[in-house]
Amino acid sequence: MEILLQLIYSGIALGMIYAVIAFGYQLTFATSDTLNFGQGEALMLGALVGLSLVDTGGMNYWLAIPVVGAFGLIQGALVERVGVRPAIKLKSEFGWIMSTIALGIIFKNVAENIWGRDDLRFPSPLDESPIKLFGANVLPMELLVIGGALLMMLLIEFFNRKTIFGKAVVATFNDREAARLMGINTSLVITFSYALSSMTAAFAGILVAPLTLTGATMGSVLGLKAFAVAIIGGLTSGLGIVVGGILLGVAETTTGFYISTGYKDVPGLVLLLLVLAVRPAGLFGKSAIKKV
Amino acid sequence: MLKIDQLEAGYGKVHVLHSISLHVPKGQVVTLIGSNGAGKTTTMRAISGMIKPTAGEITLNGRSIHGLESNQIAKLGIAHSPEGRRVFASMSVTDNLLLGAFPRLTGARPRGDVNADLEKAMELFPRLKERRQQLAGTLSGGEQQMLAMARAVMLNPDVILLDEPSMGLAPILVEEVFKIIARLKQEGMTMLLVEQFAAAALNVADYGYVLENGRISVHGPAHQLKTDPAVAASYLGGASSH
Amino acid sequence: MRQHSSSWAALAWVLAVLIPLAIQNPYYIHLVETIMIYSILLFGLDIVVGYTGQVSLGHAGLFGIGAYTAGVMFMKLSASVWLVLPCSIAVTALFGAILALPALRVSGPYLAMVTLAFGTIVQILINEMTFLTEGPLGIKISKPVMFGDKLTEREFYWVVCVMLGLALIFVHRLLRSHLGRAFEALKGSPVASDCMGVSVYRYKVYAFVISAGLAGLAGSLYAYSEQYISPNTYNFELTVLFLLAIIMGGRKTRSGAIIGATIIVMLPKLLDDIELFRWVATTAAVVIAAGAAVGLQKQWTHPKAVVIPVVGTLALAVFSYQLQNMTDWRLSIFGLMILFVVYYLQDGIVGFLSKLSPQGEVKMDSSATKIATQAAELSPGSHALGGEDHLSTSRSSNPVILNAQSVLMQFGGLKAINNVDLVIKRGEIHGLIGPNGSGKSTMMNVLTGIYQPTDGQIEFNAKTLVGRASSDIALSGIARTFQNVQLFGEMTVLQNVLVGLHHTFESPLWNVALHTPSYLREESEANTRAHALLEFVGLDSLALELAHNLPYGKQRLLEIARALALSPELLLLDEPAAGLTAPDIKELITYIRKIRDSGVTVILIEHHMDVVMGICDTVSVLDFGQKIAEGKPAEVQANEKVITAYLGGSTITA
Repeated sequence: MEILLQLIYSGIALGMIYAVIAFGYQLTFATSDTLNFGQGEALMLGALVGLSLVDTGGMNYWLAIPVVGAFGLIQGALVERVGVRPAIKLKSEFGWIMSTIALGIIFKNVAENIWGRDDLRFPSPLDESPIKLFGANVLPMELLVIGGALLMMLLIEFFNRKTIFGKAVVATFNDREAARLMGINTSLVITFSYALSSMTAAFAGILVAPLTLTGATMGSVLGLKAFAVAIIGGLTSGLGIVVGGILLGVAETTTGFYISTGYKDVPGLVLLLLVLAVRPAGLFGKSAIKKV
Repeated sequence: MLKIDQLEAGYGKVHVLHSISLHVPKGQVVTLIGSNGAGKTTTMRAISGMIKPTAGEITLNGRSIHGLESNQIAKLGIAHSPEGRRVFASMSVTDNLLLGAFPRLTGARPRGDVNADLEKAMELFPRLKERRQQLAGTLSGGEQQMLAMARAVMLNPDVILLDEPSMGLAPILVEEVFKIIARLKQEGMTMLLVEQFAAAALNVADYGYVLENGRISVHGPAHQLKTDPAVAASYLGGASSH
Repeated sequence: MRQHSSSWAALAWVLAVLIPLAIQNPYYIHLVETIMIYSILLFGLDIVVGYTGQVSLGHAGLFGIGAYTAGVMFMKLSASVWLVLPCSIAVTALFGAILALPALRVSGPYLAMVTLAFGTIVQILINEMTFLTEGPLGIKISKPVMFGDKLTEREFYWVVCVMLGLALIFVHRLLRSHLGRAFEALKGSPVASDCMGVSVYRYKVYAFVISAGLAGLAGSLYAYSEQYISPNTYNFELTVLFLLAIIMGGRKTRSGAIIGATIIVMLPKLLDDIELFRWVATTAAVVIAAGAAVGLQKQWTHPKAVVIPVVGTLALAVFSYQLQNMTDWRLSIFGLMILFVVYYLQDGIVGFLSKLSPQGEVKMDSSATKIATQAAELSPGSHALGGEDHLSTSRSSNPVILNAQSVLMQFGGLKAINNVDLVIKRGEIHGLIGPNGSGKSTMMNVLTGIYQPTDGQIEFNAKTLVGRASSDIALSGIARTFQNVQLFGEMTVLQNVLVGLHHTFESPLWNVALHTPSYLREESEANTRAHALLEFVGLDSLALELAHNLPYGKQRLLEIARALALSPELLLLDEPAAGLTAPDIKELITYIRKIRDSGVTVILIEHHMDVVMGICDTVSVLDFGQKIAEGKPAEVQANEKVITAYLGGSTITA
C-alpha cells in the first residue's frame, strides 16, 4: 500500500510535467491553429541549459530558473519565426508540421553534440531524503515540481485575465480577424504564444531534471504523451489537462513498477490512440461547423 | 474624410468590385446598399484591410491606407463593426469593450479617459449595462450587435464602418439598432453603413450609394433615393409594385 | 510530366537491372539494393503523403513490422520466401488497417501524432516481446532459398529488381485508375469528394492500407538483404528520413520516390566521408551563389529570396572545413534539408526540373487521348444526362421526389433552420431564396448530409436521408454544386468529371493492377461519358486543362458537369450564377432548362432574381430560418412579406 501511494505521488509529479507541456500546446494551437512538434525538445533544452548553469557555471538553482525561462522565450520565438510563420503564410499545414519536426531534430542533435549522448545527473537543489506524507515517501523535489507547475499555469491564467495584453491573446484565440480589427497585431501574438509555450516547457525541464536522468533524448516521447493530455484537456480547460496529466502520470508509474519498465511508455501512447479514436478533433479543435 | 477611388477587389479568381468610388464626408452618415452578392461587405473588408484591393485608392483624411494590415488601419482610426458581429465569445462584455480601446490602452492612439468612455458606452447601449460581466457568446443576436457597435465606438475612431448591423435580427431589434445609429449621428460620428435593408438605411443616412453586381448603379442624397424606383429594381429584379 | 516521370522511373529500373553486370563490388550492389527496397516503401508512402495529403510518422514502424514478420517466420518457422513475402505484406497491411481505422477519422497534426505514437509503440513492442522477436539481440536471417538453391548476393539483387518492377507497375496502374483519382480528390476537396460519392474516410483507409502492404514488402526484402534485423533501426529518425525522401524527390511521382531513396541512402555515406562532404558542400555553395547572381541579373528573383540559400550553403561549406567528421551532425543536416525543401523546393527535385523544361503542365497519356477522339464523335444530350443508369434506384413515379417535414437545424443557441417544410415535386425547378443568413445554404448542407438535422424528417423517394453519410446520399441520387466552388483544382477538367463517375466502377484492386478487360472497359466507358458531359456544358475542348486554371464562369459549369456525372435524380445548385457575367448567366439558364428537360429535378438557391423568376416553377422563401412564402415566382415577387424581408420596413416605390 505504501508503495502504491509512493507511485501515486511520483505519478502526480510526472503528470504535472505532462500538463505543463500540454499547456504549451494549447497556447499555440489556440492562437494559431499550429503546434510545435519539437515541444519535447524545448523541455530538454531547458533541462540541459539549466544543468550547465548550475553544474558547470555554479549558478544557484533558483537563479537559474528565470534564466532558463528567458532562454525558452527566445527559443520559442525562433521556432515560430523560422518554422511556423513561413508555413502559415504559405497556408501549408504540412509545412509547419515538417518544419517544427525538423527544428526538433536539429535541437536534439545540437544538444547531443554539446552535452554528449549519455544521460547526466542533475544535482538536486533540495534535500534528497524523502518526506513522509500519509505514510508514504515523497521527495521534496516532487512537491516542488507539482507546486511549480501549478504556479506557472496560474500565473499565465492571471496574465490572460487581468492584463490587456493577455486579453489580446484570448481575443486572438476567439477570432483572429476580429482581433486584428481591434488593432491587435496577431502575428506578434502568435510569436508570443510560441515564446511562452517554449518557456513553460523549458521551465518544466529544469524542474523535472533533478528527478530523472537528463539527456538529449529525454524530450522525444514526453512531447508525444503530453499531446494526448492536451487533447483530453481540451482547449480552454486548464483543469482538464491537470486531471489528464495526473491520470497518465499515475498510470505510467504503476505500469512501470508492476509490469516492466520497458512497457512504461505504452499506456500513454495507447491513451493517445484511444482518445483520438473516440473523440477526435472535437475536444481540442474549435467547433467543427463546416462552412460550405 | 474617407475616400474610395476606383477600387477593384475580389477573392482569388472572383472579381467582385469594379471601379467603385465613394466619399464619406466628416460628420455624415453614408450608406451603401444593394442586394446580396453585390459586393457591399467586400467593400468594407477592403477598407479595413481584411482583403487587399487589386486596384484603386483608399484614403483617410488624405492619407493612403491602401495595402495596410487591419491592425494598422484600426490604429489610424477606422473602427469596423464586422458582418456577423464577431464578438469575442469567451470574454465578458466589459472585456470586449476594453479590447475595442486596445490601441488607446497601448499607446497607439491618444488614451483619453477609457473608463469614462466605457461608462458612456453603457449609457448609449443600456442592454449592455445590465450585462457587464456576461460572456459575449451567451448574448442574444441583438445584444451582440449592440456590443459590436459599442466596441467600435470605444476606439474613439474617426470613422465607423457598420457592416450589415441588421442581419439576422428581428424587426424590433432592427429598430433599436437604427435608433442608436441615429444617436451616434447626432453626436457627430462619421459612419459608413452597409445594409441589406435599404429602407431603414436610407432613413438614417445623409447620402447613399447603390451597389449592383460590383458597380455603383445609383447614388444621391438619401431622401431622393428613398423614392427612386431604380433602387427597388436592383433588389427584386424588375418592377416591385404597389 | 507525370507520364514522363514514370518513363524515367522505368529507365532507372532498367539501369538498376544492368548494374551487377558492370559492377562486381558487393558493397555497391548492396547499396543499390537498399535504394530499391526503400523505393518500394516510398511508392507506398507517396500514396499517403503525396496523393491523399496526410502526414504519416509511422511508416518506419510498418517497415519494422514487415521486417520482423519475415524475421520471425524465418527463425521460428523456417518458412520459405514464397510464403514469407506474401505474409509480410498481409500482416503489415493488417496492422495498417488496425491503425488506419481509428486514426484516419482525424487529419493534419492529429494524424501525425497518432501515427507517431503507433510507430513508437511498435518499436517498444518489438524491443520488449523478446519471446517472439529476441528483443535487442535481433534476428539473424540468411538469403532465401529459391528453386532449391540459396540465392547469391547478385541473384537476390535481381529478385529485388523484379519486386521493384512489379511494385512500380502496380502503383502506376493504381494511381492512374479511378482509385488514384479518388485519392487525389479527397485531398483537393474533402467535402466535394464526399458529395460525389467518394467517401473520404474510406479512401483514406484504403490508401493507408495499400501503403502499409508496400511497406511490408519492403521490410521483408530488407530483412533478407541485411541478413540481420534489430529494433532500433525502425525509429523516428528513419520515418523522418522517409518523409524527407518523398518531399525532396517530389511528391506524386515514381521517379521522385527513387530520387528520394537515392538521396537518403547516399547521404549518410556522404556525411561519413568528410573529404567528399567538403567537396560537395563547396560545389553546392558555388553553384547556388552563381545561380543567384544570374537570377538577380536577369531579374528572375530578388535579393530577399536568395539571401538564405546563398548564406546557408556558404556557411555549411565553411562549417564543413572546421569539423573533423560530419557523422555526429547527420541529423542536423537532415533537419536543415527538410526546412530547405519545405520552403524552397515544395515540388521536390522532380517538380523543380519539370518547371525548367518547356513543356509545362500535365499531359494525358495516349490511351486516354484515343478515347477522347472517339467520344467527340458521339452526340451529347440525352446520352450524357442519366441515359444509362448505374444507380439502380427505381425511378419511381411518385410525384413528390423530396419531402422535408418540420426540419430543425440548431447550432448551439442559433436555430439556422426553424421548423421548415419543403416539398419538391418531381421534374420541377424549385427556387429557394431569402436574405443573407436565412438558412438556404444550411438547408442544402442538411439535404446532402453535411449537417445532421437536429430534428425533423427528410425523405427522398420515400427513403429517409437523416443519419446517412454524404457519400451515401450522393450515391442514392442527389448531387450538388457549392457556393464557393469546390473543384479538385490540381486535377484536369476531365478528371474532375471522372471522379463524379466513380460510382460506375466496380473493379476491385486486383483488376486494376492486372488491367483486366472488364476494368479497361469500365475506364473507357467512363471516359466516353465524361466527354459527353463536358460537351454538354461546352467544356470539352478544355478537357485536359487543370481545373484551377479555368476562368471562374467555366469553373462553375465544370462543377455542374461533375454533379451530373452522378446521374442524379435531384440536383442542388447553390448560387450557380454568383460572380457570373450577364452572357454567362444566359448560358447557365439554358443549361438548367436542358437538365430539367432530361428528367432531373432541380433545387436552385440564387440571389439573382432574374434567374430565379425566369426559370423556376415554384419558389420558396426563407427568412430567419423559416419559410415565409411559397408559390409561383410572380406571386412570391409581389408578396408583401417577401418584400419586407428583403428590403425591410416600408417598400420603396415611386
